[in-house]
Amino acid sequence: MGEHQSGGEVPGRRRVHPGGSAYGDRAARDADGRLPGHRGAAGLGGPGLLGSRPGIDDAALEALLAAALIRDGIDAEAEQRAVAAFRAARDAGPHRARTRRRDDWRPRERWHPGRSLKATLSVLLASLTLGGVAVAAIGSAGSSDGGDDRGRPPATTRAPGAPGASAGEPTDAASGSPSARPDHPAPSRDTEAHCRAYERVDGRGRAMDATAWQRLVEAAGGERNVTAYCAEQLARSEAKPGATPQPGKSAGAPGSAGSGNASNNNSGNTSGNGSGNGDTGAGNAENGSGAADNGSGAARSGGDSAADGGSSSGSQGKPAQPDSRRP
Amino acid sequence: MGQGGESRRAQAHDGELGAAVARAQNGDEAAFAVAYRIVQPGLLGYLRGLVGEDAEDVASDAWLEIARDLGRFKGDGAGFRGWTATIARHRALDHLRRRRVRPKSSTLEQDVLDLPGPQSTHDQALEAISTEYALRLVSGLPQDQAEAVLLRVVVGLDGPAAARVLGKRPGAVRTAAYRGLKRLAAQLGAEGVTDEAPRTLGESK
Repeated sequence: MGEHQSGGEVPGRRRVHPGGSAYGDRAARDADGRLPGHRGAAGLGGPGLLGSRPGIDDAALEALLAAALIRDGIDAEAEQRAVAAFRAARDAGPHRARTRRRDDWRPRERWHPGRSLKATLSVLLASLTLGGVAVAAIGSAGSSDGGDDRGRPPATTRAPGAPGASAGEPTDAASGSPSARPDHPAPSRDTEAHCRAYERVDGRGRAMDATAWQRLVEAAGGERNVTAYCAEQLARSEAKPGATPQPGKSAGAPGSAGSGNASNNNSGNTSGNGSGNGDTGAGNAENGSGAADNGSGAARSGGDSAADGGSSSGSQGKPAQPDSRRP
Repeated sequence: MGQGGESRRAQAHDGELGAAVARAQNGDEAAFAVAYRIVQPGLLGYLRGLVGEDAEDVASDAWLEIARDLGRFKGDGAGFRGWTATIARHRALDHLRRRRVRPKSSTLEQDVLDLPGPQSTHDQALEAISTEYALRLVSGLPQDQAEAVLLRVVVGLDGPAAARVLGKRPGAVRTAAYRGLKRLAAQLGAEGVTDEAPRTLGESK
């Protein structure tokens, strides 16, 4: 394809231009290009962006460039060479060769949606997963926070409730107990866990200095009451989850001590059964029920008598329960 | 694709081009000639911007490869433009590499100045510019801008296709084309033909 050909083509190209229809083509295109063209605006950021010159907008500029650089004249010789090459390639054998990636110019839309669909799906899945985890974390954090927040108010209400109960007013006790009981499943389980840990630690080490213990002690209304309080909590929680709604019932009728008693009796019975099932000895069951009764009594009446009863029952219950737990 | 920037002319021919390419892939020689006639002008304009007066030679080489590899090609008319532009660009870069080893300078200007465009110098109202002036302007741009402008304005590729030809991100190519056109507009607006010596793209690279 050497220089001599290109040397020969230049005049040829010139000849084509003025002579053939190509010239007319070009002139027509020039005129066309100068029509108000909007095509450049989208790609190039709008007509106002190009140059401060009022005379040239980008469409006109593109038209100018295209007009100047594109020559429609086709060099017949070059075309013949290309066609000959095509013929040779076609006749040389199967015109089918493997399509390399760079030969695949099918519109991107065809695989872009696939890719973007996949991407969208995976993003969606990931966001769902992460969102679920986040929501779960929020839920657990919220419940633990709620437990803390609720574990505290009973402590504060019970501490004032204790002197109030020392006056022996049943209504006060009834109003104190619902406020103490609203700590429903999660906080009571929390307290339960504290109590179990308390049993296990059993005064050893410095664990009792921790905040959780202080809270527990506060909730129980004094360090001496912790054992009774724990006994009550454990008995109530072992009674089964059904025991916790019942305090809610008694909370629903705060004025009537009878209903509160009934429900507490029920809870005591069920807790006795539960602990009896859970433990081996009937004595343990009695202890458990007794502890539950005492504990609930402590919760109901609070005050010094409850503390006494709690400690006394605790002295019974506490040795009994670790024995039943530990092999 | 809605990217704009294609020349209307190219778009108008894309359907016809796609059909011709499909027939050529089935062995239709006349269809190949049709495709050649549609594609060659823009390709040549692009190559002229790249390699100056050697554009015809490079285009010839490119068409040999296009004819040989046509069976591999998959795509429509617009895709064929991009595919052929890629092949032509590779040939042009090869050519420039060879020419840098054995430099043959300043023939571009002479050759081009031999060829006054049909509307030449007296049209200074920017209604038309001559080929040599346009080449001068374009070759005065940094190569990435010049190529982006040429591919979009002359070859008629859209943004993504031009980016694929250049092996760059579409955003980069869009920016390059924008800057190049802005610069050209400023130069065109800045009165007449400047006499500063233009560089060819190969040398500016």
